[in-house]
Amino acid sequence: MQISTHELKSKIIEALKLQDITPEQIDDDAPLFGTGLGLDSIDALELVVLLEKDYGIVIKDIEEGRPAFRSVKTLAEFIAAKRPAA
Amino acid sequence: MNKIFIAAAAVVSSADLPAARLGPRFGRLDLQSRLALLAVASLKINFGGFARDRTGICLAASAGSLTTDFNFWQGRDSVGGPSPTLFAYTLPSSAAGEIAIHFGLTGPNLCFVGDDKNLLSEAADLIRRDEADGCLCVFCEVVSAEVAKIISSPPAATACALFLQRMNLETGVAISGSLHELQEFDRDMKSRCALISRTKSAG
Repeated sequence: MQISTHELKSKIIEALKLQDITPEQIDDDAPLFGTGLGLDSIDALELVVLLEKDYGIVIKDIEEGRPAFRSVKTLAEFIAAKRPAA
Repeated sequence: MNKIFIAAAAVVSSADLPAARLGPRFGRLDLQSRLALLAVASLKINFGGFARDRTGICLAASAGSLTTDFNFWQGRDSVGGPSPTLFAYTLPSSAAGEIAIHFGLTGPNLCFVGDDKNLLSEAADLIRRDEADGCLCVFCEVVSAEVAKIISSPPAATACALFLQRMNLETGVAISGSLHELQEFDRDMKSRCALISRTKSAG
């Protein structure tokens, strides 16, 4: 099931407590880490927790999740593929 | 002849946080780090005028990181576990680290758990030993209502900061703003900050 990238951006902003950033300012394809949104390794762990809390997806191997954390778009696609059926 | 002066002082509380604009990552910091960083930013010091590796930080936290420790512990039963971000702040020295990162300071760094009585003398000693030309002193009092009950201390959410600076009186290096010479009896940093801040506001 597809998820809205706007909804995902809102969740990321809330989970990472990003100030003065709106979902509209985050490009779907922009890198989440380093350049782009400029997230770091602690943010990555926070995103792992977000996936478990909000989408029921448990990432046990960070290498498995690495490609998913490239951008909002790849993360949304990862959630859609891995999300447990309701 | 070198003397040590207080170049700026500031006091902040949690009431000042909503208006603070210190970058998109400011919200990620725990309360103690946000207050400490805001107090230092309120000094309005242009650190570009100093050698970054010659500017020290001395920080004291009245209750260490107990409030954040408690918040982290409370999250242990939530889905996915407690916040990883919060874990990074379960060290009393985290606030000093955030200050160093934000302002790019790489000088000596000291952290104390307890009152503010040794802060000024330790910072002044760093300067006298020629390990730094200037030193930020930060005192944080962060005690949540829950922690206050446990440690029998009043709740608090404040931070004060001042900047100690060496000045060569013979060469007369000019520094903008008012200077307050550090006195031997200056041990209560909180009162000193409040006094200087009030004087500045009145002026």
